[in-house]
Amino acid sequence: MKFSLIKKNIVIGVTLALSASLVSCNDFLDINETPNNPTAVPPSTLLPTGLVGSAFANANELNRFTSAIMSVTAGVAGSPVDYDRYNTDGADFGNQWRFEIYGGALVNYEQLIQAAEEINSPAYTGIAKIMKAYTFAIATDVWGDVPYSEALQGAEIPQPSLDSQRDIYLGNEAEGIQSLFDLVREGLADLELASAASPGNDDLVYGGEMDKWKRAGNTLLLKLAMQISQVEPTVARDVINSVIQANNYIVANDQNLSVKFGGQIGSQNPIHTYTNISSFRTDQMMSTRFVNLLKGLNDPRLDAFVTKPSGDYVTIDNGFGGTAPTPATRSMFGTYITGEDGSAPVRLLTNWQRAFILAEAAIRLGTAGDPQALYAEGIRASMSSVGISDANIDAYFAANPTVVTLAGTDAQKIEQIITQKYISMTGNGLEQWNDWRRTGYPTLAPHQNAVGIDGTRPVRAQYIDQEVARNPSFPNNVYSNVPVWWDVN
Amino acid sequence: MKKSILLNFIFVFALVVQAFAQGRTVTGTVTDQATGQGLPGVSIQVKGTTTGTATDIDGNFSVSVPAENSTLIFRAIGYRSVERAVGSSSTVDVVLSVNAEQLSEVVVTAQGIERDERSLGYATQTVQGDAISQRSEPNVLNALQGKVAGVNITGASGAPGASTNINIRGITSFNGSNQPLIVVDGIIFSNDVDNSQNTLFGSQPSNRLADINPESIESINILKGPAASVLYGSRASAGVIVITTKSGRGMKGKTEVTFNSSVNFQNIAYLPEFQNEYGQGTQNNYVNNSTNSWGPRFGTPGFDNVTTIWGESVPYRAYPDNIKDFYQTGKFLMNSLNIAGGDEKNNFSTALSSTLQEGVIRESGFDRHSVQVGGNSALNNGIKVGGTVSYVKTSQKGATMGNGGSAFGQITRVPRSFNLTGMDYKDVNGNSIYFLPSQNHPLWSLENEFFESNVDRVFGNLSVGYDFADWLNVTYRVTADTYADTRRQVLRIGAARAPEGQIDEDLRTRAELNGDLMITARKSDIFTEGLSATLLLGQNINQRTFKQSGVISESLVIPGFDNVSNGSIFTSSYESNTKRRLLGHYGQLSLDYRSYLFLELSARVDKSSTLPAGSNAYFYPSAAVSFVPTEAFNIQSDILSYAKVRGNIARVGRDADPYLLQSVFTQSTFGNNLASVTFPLSVGGGSIPGFQIGTRIGSNQLKPEFVTSYEGGFNLGFFNNRVGVDFTYFNTTSTNQIFNVAISNASGYDTRTTNIGEMRNRGIELQLSGTPIRTGDFEWDIMVNFTRIRNKVISIAEGVENSTITGDSFIGIAPSIAVGYPYGVVIGTANARNENGDLLVNPTTGGFMPGVAGKVISNPQKDYTVGINNSFSYKGFNLSALFDINKGGQIYSFSQVDMRSAGHVAETAVDRDQPRILPGVIANSDGTYRPNNIQVSAQTFWAGLGGLASEAAVFDATSYRLREVALSYALPESLLSRTPFGGISLGVSGRNLLMYAPGFPSDPEINTQGAGNIQGMDMNGVPTTKNYGINLRVTF
Repeated sequence: MKFSLIKKNIVIGVTLALSASLVSCNDFLDINETPNNPTAVPPSTLLPTGLVGSAFANANELNRFTSAIMSVTAGVAGSPVDYDRYNTDGADFGNQWRFEIYGGALVNYEQLIQAAEEINSPAYTGIAKIMKAYTFAIATDVWGDVPYSEALQGAEIPQPSLDSQRDIYLGNEAEGIQSLFDLVREGLADLELASAASPGNDDLVYGGEMDKWKRAGNTLLLKLAMQISQVEPTVARDVINSVIQANNYIVANDQNLSVKFGGQIGSQNPIHTYTNISSFRTDQMMSTRFVNLLKGLNDPRLDAFVTKPSGDYVTIDNGFGGTAPTPATRSMFGTYITGEDGSAPVRLLTNWQRAFILAEAAIRLGTAGDPQALYAEGIRASMSSVGISDANIDAYFAANPTVVTLAGTDAQKIEQIITQKYISMTGNGLEQWNDWRRTGYPTLAPHQNAVGIDGTRPVRAQYIDQEVARNPSFPNNVYSNVPVWWDVN
Repeated sequence: MKKSILLNFIFVFALVVQAFAQGRTVTGTVTDQATGQGLPGVSIQVKGTTTGTATDIDGNFSVSVPAENSTLIFRAIGYRSVERAVGSSSTVDVVLSVNAEQLSEVVVTAQGIERDERSLGYATQTVQGDAISQRSEPNVLNALQGKVAGVNITGASGAPGASTNINIRGITSFNGSNQPLIVVDGIIFSNDVDNSQNTLFGSQPSNRLADINPESIESINILKGPAASVLYGSRASAGVIVITTKSGRGMKGKTEVTFNSSVNFQNIAYLPEFQNEYGQGTQNNYVNNSTNSWGPRFGTPGFDNVTTIWGESVPYRAYPDNIKDFYQTGKFLMNSLNIAGGDEKNNFSTALSSTLQEGVIRESGFDRHSVQVGGNSALNNGIKVGGTVSYVKTSQKGATMGNGGSAFGQITRVPRSFNLTGMDYKDVNGNSIYFLPSQNHPLWSLENEFFESNVDRVFGNLSVGYDFADWLNVTYRVTADTYADTRRQVLRIGAARAPEGQIDEDLRTRAELNGDLMITARKSDIFTEGLSATLLLGQNINQRTFKQSGVISESLVIPGFDNVSNGSIFTSSYESNTKRRLLGHYGQLSLDYRSYLFLELSARVDKSSTLPAGSNAYFYPSAAVSFVPTEAFNIQSDILSYAKVRGNIARVGRDADPYLLQSVFTQSTFGNNLASVTFPLSVGGGSIPGFQIGTRIGSNQLKPEFVTSYEGGFNLGFFNNRVGVDFTYFNTTSTNQIFNVAISNASGYDTRTTNIGEMRNRGIELQLSGTPIRTGDFEWDIMVNFTRIRNKVISIAEGVENSTITGDSFIGIAPSIAVGYPYGVVIGTANARNENGDLLVNPTTGGFMPGVAGKVISNPQKDYTVGINNSFSYKGFNLSALFDINKGGQIYSFSQVDMRSAGHVAETAVDRDQPRILPGVIANSDGTYRPNNIQVSAQTFWAGLGGLASEAAVFDATSYRLREVALSYALPESLLSRTPFGGISLGVSGRNLLMYAPGFPSDPEINTQGAGNIQGMDMNGVPTTKNYGINLRVTF
């Protein structure tokens, strides 16, 4: 029958269509390459990511915490009030750990090293290693023992174990742990090599001036050495001596390791955004104690550090529980810290910091250099950076000889040095806190209404809850009153 | 393998079947009483024997009967059975009449195949359109609440258009969508939410099933288990909801016009009880920028008037309704017009509908307009053609929600003495006036921070079929569903989250195309008389695309100009495209032995684009058996009228989401709403691009995940089916889950994608139906459904005890999977306790000791749910009342903790001047404990219970609720006989009228995260509403 022939043809046609679709289905299904994200990127896009990550680690929430407990700022509401009363627990700083330190700066330095090695560009790997050491130092200084040698390995080691802070700083050959010093030295060595590609504008610190990175690396060695100077004075002395001998460290303000920010929304210094823009901007203001300290020293930097919108400084005491002043009148971080429009850099390692380190080292460790000269150099460098003219600095020195002259016992001299270092580091609460934990200076009175674990100022951060939940290597409830390894004071 | 199973089956049947006796042949015709046309497929059995046959396409039959005293039994789905003594005649013609009671027994199953309920070896449940229409509820899913066993439905909030979550038989996938597949008239229909909010900020977009007008629905069939849904393939592992819209099929040649109209009102429901004794401040001091109500008691001397932060002297008194008056009475109008006509073979339908809603939140709304046309025709040449096409336009406008800087982040922080709705909330320049300078007045936020979604959606299908023989049909069906959702989130200048203003103009388009070839062969009396078989072979080609692109315009210049051109920074703009394809081949063999023993074997092979090439094909089978003893043994009892036992075993494979195989880089960003930067960075006049490695590690070793399910159950009917029981037990195991497993962040990453883990769901579904009274015009029907599902995560990955569910989470409060716990538990910080479970108190402060991180603190899974519907009808009156119980489950509520620790709620005012002691013990130095005896103030006590990220934010979500009441009256036909109207009915309806939640100060049936895998979170969302409406239905 004719009709059944048609039917037969249709059946055959359908069968053919079916088998054709089976044959061609590999092309049909080969569409799973993501159009949304690159799977490889050049080093020039990773370097600024890492640098901004390190800057955020230093200047965002950890700075709010440390500036509050260091009596620079005072809490009005929200978490600054908790910090101001010494309260911190594992719910704090998760974003810092996850998105700024390990999953922010560090993993991208690691990616940067890989990407740069592929194109034979040690200029990038050198910077990455130096900054990796800087950022790991933040992690261990804040939390103590942290993942280091097993960290950043992705799926290879999904639950890295902790290295002791001692091993992180000093290395442990038996465990295969490279010291932070050696990591920096490896970076410095890379910087000596010829590089196929070199950073330019993507270097948000030096704009590609590699000589300055060498100075920064050497200055980082000084900072790391000073941090362990009380527990490991010999190591510290050796490191500092060798850096002094090599004589290639930061000696001018334009050599500061400072990460640049811009003046537009989305490009601004995080201290500015928090202090002046965010809906949390009224949670924190300046501490009466900080303003009084600088007033007591007639310090000309006060106006640059602290605003006075009502014409006078309007502050509250740390731990204050009453009605806070009207927001529009409050003293906040000044333009030196925030920038007029948010474009102030985040100053990670500075000329004055170096001078104060060498001054302290000369006294504490007997390293080369005149403590008084270095102390004065530090104060001058900081004042100059703030914008005070040389003439006015000279005038200040002339008028305040007891402030600018070291006197008394070594301990008293170190207290003077660290107090000036503390002032010069305003806006870098982490380093203020590091010094205070290490030396006990400056002498800070307890805050009102202090709670904390036992009423004392925190000396570490508790491990973040999420790590404790995800990684059995982490002990639960190492509270904020337990000192870290280098904190023996 | 498959073939040998089949052969075995046939062999067993052959043994059962006795050789039939020799006799004479009787012929005849079976016709439909209503149409007079021949009825095909009528089963004919010689009573007392296993001999039988079935009618052909014209209703003719021929059967051998023993020589004498034979009786024939005629059975057809939807018709009353007829017994007819043959006597000595050689011709028997029979007329079958429709059995109205049995009509609902026809069930639309997978791929639109209509089946007799008794033949199904798995549980399904049908909800007729009239049970969801005119219920003062514009969202179909909400209207289904409490009406279906095994299904869990939770709305996000009372905001208009807010999404509704639905899970059938629990959660089966760690990471994939657990929302059932939605099929509307054969069209795979997107029910995506396309959530654009992050955890703590945003609005609640709709689930896209909200584009369907409930009034247009003829019936909804819920295919609960994998066995029921296997033909739909991978995506049906979470069950299927098959929606059939009204068509002209049942019109019997008439044309009918139906007009539905309703006017409804909404009010905010179940706000917590507030205190009205104490006002703004802390520790008994008036503090004019405090979000607390811990100030002086009203009437305290010296506090008659206080000065606000903007310097105004105002009376210091309670404003008892300041929160209630923040809301308004919502209204919605629903109108629809359906015209349908034709008969079974040739029919058409058109529908128009309009829903206009003004929400309980000022400035919010949800509007929906749709038009649909469709029809079917059987051509003379034997080709059958059918199709529908629909266009829907849905517009939603909503408020921003979330902790802190949003209207709803602030509404829980309003002191009792703040005259929220009785003051000017903006100055002459349009700036917010509020007691918190860095936040905005909630009414200002409603006006100036909003979300809009405008959806244009088209969906339709076309099918062409041809009967090559009376036993062979080939049909090809193409379905398409596509929509564009133009969204816009406006944060005008001054918004707390974006003080310089921000506009996010966000275009999302989704499209799905399906082509299905289905070859169906039917044969009666194969191998032996009474055994009929249906074989379906099918092929499915599927493509799904989603594109999202958006311009984020920041630093706005001109106030009130809500256009992206108003901005000066656009660096946060984005684009994302996904495309996935799937090629499936499936087959199903259904065997029916004398309408009492049924076997169905199904299998499907899918090949997916989202899995690694070379290992992207996967096979999965199912088998289902059903046996009807009352039919098999011809039990004719007044007590037991119907009995069926059923069982099945099934497996469904499931592919990955697109693009999971690789690790990728993303544009760099740092920070959050406190401070943030987004690359490219604008520094020193240059633009510096930045990329960062993504937080997820991809895997090119992914395999499909599987759900394996066993199900058994029975259906019983008593007293001529006046009492019915439908019981199901199921056990599903999900294995090889494709999941982004949480890894230590010290690894540099957050998650890695891999196949891991095992999860089990065991559950009971029970439906009871009864008609206690049926006398004359009065009838009382009861429907009860009960669901109890036990979900347990058996394993995750080696060394991993818990992992965060992909999606938005808030640090310290992580909806997670955790070994030994149900899906979706919240991992957070638990209070520190000693080995006896006593709370540990800090001896210096009297507050609790620091909590212990990483503990399971909240479990959103319900213990059981019960829905009880009573309906009464008397003449034209019909009253139905649905009561439901949601027992157990927990909710994590920022809102309640906010209001409690801030001293706004009533319990905080009780004996406020008395000191209190937190419950717990203090550790002694010798390792023993003493009871806590440290007195603290009421404020310290209530705050000390715990803040947002703590165990104290967890509440029991049990609720007892009068879900729905509907009363309607149909005018008697005698009144209408002289009018053009075929029917007029009037009704009133109400929803959520009474609610009792013993463990929660408000209504716990909310979830700020909307539809999706994260449930049981109230992070400063909108409460629920009560709805009331009157409605009218007219047919011509």
